[in-house]
Amino acid sequence: MKRREFGGMAVSALALTAMPFSVSADETCQSPYMPMITGHEEYVYIWTLGVEGMGDEQDKMVTVDLRPNSDTRGQVINSVSVGGRNEAHHAGFNSDRRYLWAGGLDTNRIFIFDVHSDPSKPSLHKTIDSFVKDSGGCVGPHTFFALPGRMMITGLSNDEDHGGRTALVEYNDDGEYVATYWMPTADDMQGAVAADGAVADGYGYDVRALIRKNIMLTSSFTGWSNYMMDFGQMLGDAEAMKRFGGTMVQWDLHTRQPKKVFSVPGAPLEVRFPWGPNANYAFSTTALTSKLWLIYEDDAGEWQAKAVADIGNPADIPLPVDISLAADDQTLWINSFMDGTTRLFDVSDPHNPKQIYEKKIASQVNMVSQSWDGERVYYTSSLLGNWDKKGADDAQYLKAYKWNGSELVDDFEIDFYEAQLGRAHLMRFGSAALYS
Amino acid sequence: MFTKPALAAIVLASLGAVALALWLGGPRSSLGERRPMSSVFEPSEEFQFDPPQPGTYALHRIKTAPNGNVLDIDGKARTLSEITLGKISLVSFVYLNCGDINGCPLAMATLFDIHDASMLVPELRDKVQLVTLSFDPERDTVEAIEAFAYPVISDGNADKKLEWHVLTTSGQAELQPILNGYGQAVDRSKDQENISHLLRIFLVDGAGQIRNIYGLGLIDPRLLMTDVETLMMEEGLI
Repeated sequence: MKRREFGGMAVSALALTAMPFSVSADETCQSPYMPMITGHEEYVYIWTLGVEGMGDEQDKMVTVDLRPNSDTRGQVINSVSVGGRNEAHHAGFNSDRRYLWAGGLDTNRIFIFDVHSDPSKPSLHKTIDSFVKDSGGCVGPHTFFALPGRMMITGLSNDEDHGGRTALVEYNDDGEYVATYWMPTADDMQGAVAADGAVADGYGYDVRALIRKNIMLTSSFTGWSNYMMDFGQMLGDAEAMKRFGGTMVQWDLHTRQPKKVFSVPGAPLEVRFPWGPNANYAFSTTALTSKLWLIYEDDAGEWQAKAVADIGNPADIPLPVDISLAADDQTLWINSFMDGTTRLFDVSDPHNPKQIYEKKIASQVNMVSQSWDGERVYYTSSLLGNWDKKGADDAQYLKAYKWNGSELVDDFEIDFYEAQLGRAHLMRFGSAALYS
Repeated sequence: MFTKPALAAIVLASLGAVALALWLGGPRSSLGERRPMSSVFEPSEEFQFDPPQPGTYALHRIKTAPNGNVLDIDGKARTLSEITLGKISLVSFVYLNCGDINGCPLAMATLFDIHDASMLVPELRDKVQLVTLSFDPERDTVEAIEAFAYPVISDGNADKKLEWHVLTTSGQAELQPILNGYGQAVDRSKDQENISHLLRIFLVDGAGQIRNIYGLGLIDPRLLMTDVETLMMEEGLI
């Protein structure tokens, strides 16, 4: 090796000491520890619930081609079935983005797909069947949030009463169990403080982190006894309707210790941090009360939570579900399931969001994923197997749109029932360019 | 042309991050109370939080660090385990041509900071070490890593600082199992000029267990030192 070859590294090291740090981020709403697709996404992987009497009836990872000049663009090009129905729900890449972890809320199985060997054809690499036993009783693996060399998984429930008390569970990238962190409860705050009279319910749902602040936030939904119940039956069950989370928890990301419990009534679901170097806040939405919440650092350096906008007419219970924050932090897509509508909020002033656009996508809509440049927006339909609408309103699809700055323009759609695939749930983007 | 003295100057420059002025008197206050080892470093604006108190949290065993055959700067064949077992190690993977400011240079700048600051924390000397392995064995030959390590081994205060093992391998056959075992992703472009990789530093305890993994956003010397101190407390070393 020639001496001059040291130069590139050493000079950069010098420059680095004076440079502000910028976090590498994934396309809009994923773990900032992961490589990102800042160019055109090439594939979308859709974690799909198998339906009895349809196709092979199994849960499956469906791959749709998104390559701009491909002859098969907008078509299903691969499908990997996992051998049964598990209440397929959410999925997330590991920190080197070579594997996609996907969970089953009912069976507690976790399927790890290899997406780097051939990004157009994911293959099932490993299945974890021991999540409940590993974790000491956590049930319902939900969010998969990448940490370096590890996966942080939120639970939704527990194996004692199948209610909402649950935990965060950490595995290494090989799929080996590392640790369990139970959510704080009023009886065991684990050193956390309650903000403004919040009562820690121990429930869980999503997890996201703001690394430079060492902040991790979790939200809260409901347990197995509710998410596996028929939706209509649950709405009529007063006791069941009491079993929803109403808190968010601020954690120390490094130590995994809970620090503060916020009262956020009505089941706060997705959590999204912005990317801006000085943006010290996060958004969440509450399913039952239809509010957009801001969790933010105040002038004194303390984190606070407040509702900042209504989503639709809360009295109609539109049931906000997935959200997607633009990479420039200026706009936020919010879907609501019951009215099948997506809404775009101007969140340039996060304390005063304003709705600027809405469009009915279908009779029901759940997930939304936007490209890094925000010019393409994708929607899928399924919420939970027993909560999706019935009959003709049970539309199951992938719908792709182009966002021209003022409206969503139809691109393509795939009817997942017509294709005998099942209920389309979570989307994640893939690209061969990540593995050059 | 980049010369050895110039590289040494870079090492000295990295001392700018070390809060020497705040560390007069070593790791104990005038009252005899031991200060956190991380206090030898100035807070940096990109890490907008204070590290936790060492020993107040758990560092779980993530996985067993892999063994493997490596070459040291003298060309001597060694195993990773014989180097790492018995000491707390900060293990990093780099290639010397790397120009990605969020890659190897970031790791190396932080490790140089820790190496230099270690002179101020004598407790570290025999218990903690740095291990850096190249993932570019074709270009990072024994001669190359020896040249790279020159500022470290020629440092007049070397005996007061952490030991720093700079290593390479005889080739991909020896290297790949080590990368796989650690989970260090490396993608080689066709031209071989640039090697795409994710920045990682691994904290390995004296028993060979990986206890933490740092990526972008976590390469804060204060945080690394806090974890090292936590492990030293756990192992009864301080």
